[in-house]
Amino acid sequence: MAKVAREMVERAGVNVDQLLELLVKNAAAELNTYYYYTILRANLIGLDGETIKEIAEVARIEDRNHFEALVPRIYELGGKLPEDMVEFHNLSACRPAKLPANPRDIRAMLTVLVEAERCAVRGYTQICNMTAGKDHRTYDLALSILHEEVEHESWFSEFLGEGPSGHFMRRGETSPFVGKFLK
Amino acid sequence: MRRFTEEELLYYDGRSGRPAYMAFAGKVYDVTGSFLWRGGRHQALHTAGADLTEAIKAAPHGPELLAKFPVVGVLQGKEKPCEK
Repeated sequence: MAKVAREMVERAGVNVDQLLELLVKNAAAELNTYYYYTILRANLIGLDGETIKEIAEVARIEDRNHFEALVPRIYELGGKLPEDMVEFHNLSACRPAKLPANPRDIRAMLTVLVEAERCAVRGYTQICNMTAGKDHRTYDLALSILHEEVEHESWFSEFLGEGPSGHFMRRGETSPFVGKFLK
Repeated sequence: MRRFTEEELLYYDGRSGRPAYMAFAGKVYDVTGSFLWRGGRHQALHTAGADLTEAIKAAPHGPELLAKFPVVGVLQGKEKPCEK
């Protein structure tokens, strides 16, 4: 725990226990998503499935990176992860991104993927709103994750034809925004 | 349609097996089955059994997400005139 770091955040007016609960819930969502996306990815087959497999894989790896980046901040602020993995799963900030009933239905697959990303976008927007100008380190982390989640949402949304394409798949290494927290 | 007072609504806090209800703009919604309302709590910030009309203004989503939940009543004194 970083005692003074927590004290600074408290003195800035942030309810640190509430913030920690949100960070843990979003860390759970990230690890859950990494797990469920592994199953989705394995089922992205055929002409349509293979088309989106690589993007789903990038989102999967980056969501795992988000989990890895969140954990140190949780402990810095005096929080911890639950010892029970089942408990951790169940307190997730987002619904499990489970395989749709018909995994060959690519629209259903994309809908699961885009809904998971939209939940994440909402979650990190909430954390940014809570910490802006008050908890600079958590804000920087949440904003970095938000950048990547917005890109994920855009990728899947554009495959669903919800709007013109303005984004391209990741070039270079994964997690261009969150990477600085992983070094 | 059942009319809830704010005191009656408090009972439906989603804890100890009780249903989780929340109110928005005069309507009472049953969010018991929602993964995001497990145990009557939502995103560490909100609890069931309350009128969240004001709170939703600061939420990272709009009231459109409530459309998928059943309306189980109206909140007395907060309902729109046509719902009285």
